[in-house]
Amino acid sequence: MDLAALSTAILQILTPWSFFMLFIGTLLGIVVGAIPGLTGAMLIALTLPLTFYMEPFNAVVLLISMYVGAISGGLITATLMRMPGTPASVMTTFDGYPMARSGRPGRALGLGITASFVGGLIAWGVLLTVTKPLSILATRFGPFEYFTLIMMAMVLIASVSEGSMVKGLISGLLGMLVSMPGVDPASGMPRLTFDWYLLNGGLQLLPVLIGTFAVSQIIADTLDVQNKPERAEVANDSVLMSFSDLKKNAVNMIRSSFIGTGIGILPGIGASIGSVAAYTTAKNVSKSPEKFGTGSEEGIIASEAANNATVGGALIPLIAMGIPGSVIDAILIGALTIHSIQPGPTLFLTNNDIVWAMIATCLLANILMFFFMTSSVRYIASMIYLPRSFVLPVVAVFCVVGSYALNNTMFDVWVMLLFGVIGFMLERAKIPLGPFVIGFVLAPLAEEKLRSGLMMTAGDISPVVTRPFPLFFTITAVILLIWPFWTEHKRKRAGKTD
Amino acid sequence: MQRNPITEILVCGFIALICLVFFINAWSLPPGTFEPLGSGPVPLATAAIVIICCLVIMIGQARALIRNGQVERQFRMEFMTRSPYGPLITLGLTVVYVAALDLNVASFGVITCVFLTILIAALENFKLKSLLPAFLVAVVVSFGVEYMFTNVFVVDLPA
Repeated sequence: MDLAALSTAILQILTPWSFFMLFIGTLLGIVVGAIPGLTGAMLIALTLPLTFYMEPFNAVVLLISMYVGAISGGLITATLMRMPGTPASVMTTFDGYPMARSGRPGRALGLGITASFVGGLIAWGVLLTVTKPLSILATRFGPFEYFTLIMMAMVLIASVSEGSMVKGLISGLLGMLVSMPGVDPASGMPRLTFDWYLLNGGLQLLPVLIGTFAVSQIIADTLDVQNKPERAEVANDSVLMSFSDLKKNAVNMIRSSFIGTGIGILPGIGASIGSVAAYTTAKNVSKSPEKFGTGSEEGIIASEAANNATVGGALIPLIAMGIPGSVIDAILIGALTIHSIQPGPTLFLTNNDIVWAMIATCLLANILMFFFMTSSVRYIASMIYLPRSFVLPVVAVFCVVGSYALNNTMFDVWVMLLFGVIGFMLERAKIPLGPFVIGFVLAPLAEEKLRSGLMMTAGDISPVVTRPFPLFFTITAVILLIWPFWTEHKRKRAGKTD
Repeated sequence: MQRNPITEILVCGFIALICLVFFINAWSLPPGTFEPLGSGPVPLATAAIVIICCLVIMIGQARALIRNGQVERQFRMEFMTRSPYGPLITLGLTVVYVAALDLNVASFGVITCVFLTILIAALENFKLKSLLPAFLVAVVVSFGVEYMFTNVFVVDLPA
């Protein structure tokens, strides 16, 4: 652990311009996370073009603080409107809203804010201690280790996807496939371009991201744009948790934070699953599980501590191995690449200041988030009732500007629109979008590693099962692939016997 | 979780079709000269797996639909319970907006202002009391964005 580098990064963030980025990033993240229909992924994708002309350090500060803010902001809508502002807050709606409706909205928000803060701090501690050793280990990884790790990540993402594993696989592999048109990096020849010169450069990450996450969401939201959601008002009761409350809920908070961090570290999974796992565990070990879903304090704490903890957890594989821990991390990888920074095990050597900027921002944004949420949640809450018929068209304009700004070409804007429609269709068919984006980001790396590995071994694929790490990753991937089908088969057999 | 079997069949069919086009195109790629794999096998394998997965979903959903024997009711439930007005108007106007920018019909600020006014008013079902706020928001956002991007962030804008 390099405390000198950490303190240097903290001091640099506290300089006026970087602190402004931290401040505005966290605040915007909270507000956007709180507005239903707008997500952190959308905000970060749309902000990315604005960072082109910034110093990479400030760009990282802005984007990471938005990430922290957006995951936290979802709590407000989940509690006051029974609508998760971000998907990560789904579990908070089960207990946050009933508690708010029963006349204790301040208490519900206070529990969530404190749990978010503690979750963020614990995950930050793990991020600080684990990242460097993991990156040192990852420097020993060869092409086959990387290739099998990415394949394992893809299967893992598919296996935890909402709906079915097959749909997760379709989404991830489709994302991989659409990243392949363009000039083949190994041979220099165009492939899958259909003789269309505009495709020679391939499809760019930013228009695909904005289309898949922002435009598809805008189209989906206009389905019920006139619906008025249920709401509970923020009362004047305090949102700060007392010391005795903290003591009473410490075990649940710490346990949920570690669950969230652990799940965040797993490549490609993210906050929603972390929140579900922590909530389920809290319910299973609770002395009063019957209260879950009716306004349970334990439920709110478990969900919020875990979803904020996944932020720090998910940054670990991103920094150490260049593998995204969640969808937002996939966007961050794109952001780093745009700023000519290659995420991965050598990041500590090539861009030490950027790594420490990420780690320091994670801590400072959490502190700032706690400050914002406790002091001004009432004002932030009033923004979530902005009419969507006004908000969505404005976001659509930013989508167009964001896509165009990358290369100053209208082709990217049309690509964005096309992927907006594709994203909307996938969502309607209950095919998750997360694996699509992660597949899109990881496919070039996976193919490059496979091909360079095969060149090293003259076409021999056996290292996938003869080397320890690739063997471990391959076995894990196979088990993850077979497991859902095996359990389904067993369930059907049990059903027939009955 | 609410399922949409007909939508799933249609979407998976569409994805399978796209993958088939990719598959055929990848099939014709030449083998590698300096490396064992070449550029074709990875997209070929990827497209093939997606097609198989899509067929699994399509067959499974089609069997379930036939077993239940309520295709018409299911169709009505999936496509006729919610009005497609919002998505259609949003998508349609956005396509027109992007085309207008692409064709340089007017400056960014003017095209955006018209687009925002019409879209906001349309989403508000052209209620009279929403027209003025829609226009005001459109003017502030469109010319504000134009000023901010060209003068503050120094980022080029379309049109």
